Amino acid sequence: MEIDRVDGRTPNQLRPLACSRSVLNRAHGSASWTQGDTKVLAAVYGPKAGTKKNENPEKACIEVIWKPKTGQSGKLEREYEMILKRTLQSICVLTLNPNTTTSVIVQVVNDDGALLPCAINAACAALVDAGAPLKHLAVAICCCLAESGYVILDPSKLEEQKMKAFAYLVFPNSLTLLQEGGSPVGGEPMEHGIITSVTQGAMSVDDYLHCLERGRAATAKMSAFLQKSLQPLLSDG
Amino acid sequence: MEEKVSGSPACFIDKPVIPGDVVLDLSDMTNQTIKLGGGLRQDFDSIVAMKAGTLRFTKPNKYWVETSQKRYVPCVGDSVLGIVADSRADNFLVDIKGPTLAYLPVLAFEGGTRRNIPKFEVGTLLYVRVVKANPGMNPELSCTDASGKAAEYGVLKDGYNFDCSTGLSRMLLRSPRCPVLEELGKKISFEIAVGLNGRVWLNAGSPSLIIVVSNAIMNSESLTGVKQRIMVDKLIQNLKLSS
Repeated sequence: MEIDRVDGRTPNQLRPLACSRSVLNRAHGSASWTQGDTKVLAAVYGPKAGTKKNENPEKACIEVIWKPKTGQSGKLEREYEMILKRTLQSICVLTLNPNTTTSVIVQVVNDDGALLPCAINAACAALVDAGAPLKHLAVAICCCLAESGYVILDPSKLEEQKMKAFAYLVFPNSLTLLQEGGSPVGGEPMEHGIITSVTQGAMSVDDYLHCLERGRAATAKMSAFLQKSLQPLLSDG
Repeated sequence: MEEKVSGSPACFIDKPVIPGDVVLDLSDMTNQTIKLGGGLRQDFDSIVAMKAGTLRFTKPNKYWVETSQKRYVPCVGDSVLGIVADSRADNFLVDIKGPTLAYLPVLAFEGGTRRNIPKFEVGTLLYVRVVKANPGMNPELSCTDASGKAAEYGVLKDGYNFDCSTGLSRMLLRSPRCPVLEELGKKISFEIAVGLNGRVWLNAGSPSLIIVVSNAIMNSESLTGVKQRIMVDKLIQNLKLSS
């Protein structure tokens, strides 16, 4: 593994994580998630009455609003909104509160690479904080493929620009199931699942599978962190 | 295997859980009849938590996750504090902090007939009971207990009303009585109504006392029992010095 990273990390090393919950007073749930210099703030409002047009009123609807750091939201932000919405829809129990809308507002505080995974993690923590019914948690990670064929995790902005291809991968939080459940759920172990995969650039199938494997290994650490950061507020309840 | 049967439920009780935690495995339980409360769902043979909170269990077979959130989801049987938002011919529309406004039928009062319909202005604070809470419908309220008596339900006049999290209101209603109320009650006389939807109404002799009590309650959310007592003691000492 003789790939040099600007900040001296090993290819598998993640940037320091930080997460705080209930940061906003008026939101029903909020969280900020930091990965190195990337910081995203997520707020959850709702459930509110009624669903939007073109949404199924028999299920709960999730609305995502992406606020970029500066300027207007453009095409890229719309794409992020859609990916985030689909991801959150798959982890939420939508049948419990039909005909309601839950708004998730994502504010980018600072972008230093791996923005979308960071936002997914923030949104997930904010949903937990708001008490929205969730099937399980989601942990997102960014895997990059360098020109030389190496896979690096959680790239910074500078590294992201030099890369040949990258994949945003979202996994269910495997750790709890590995440790506590143990037994496979519904025939296949949950930790083999994948919620969302967004790829950009060209990569071979083998490289993609390699990314998956590395990403999955790394998310174990992240889900441990997520679990830990969700704990302290609960114990005093 | 036998050890796991007895061991697996006990190890999660009174412990924090997060969404996705498999709390119980039905396939290796001898008695498969259990009652699930809020925050849990069944997924094939396993019971999975879907909210972050503390898992609670009461004998013989009730399980639920105790959560604290800012938003209230109506549930049948809860006593809540609502604010009248609108009045219609047949119903009052009441805000109980839920996703939708709740209906309070004008006849749902003790001895309620068409002749004596109560008049509430918009903004009136009511202590009511949730009688219907079906998904996809507006919840329905009642100002009587199950036998049709008024039983303390009804309008709350004067006083002061503030919002808190559902966790705090549940803590205030817990028995044995929570330390902060017990300590305050020894020194200050006040009236309190706590709604499970995270609304608290207070009334005391003077506005300054109301402020003291409400601040003490709001500050007690993140404190343990002992710390609550200390905080109240300090407050009361300050109160005596200033008066």
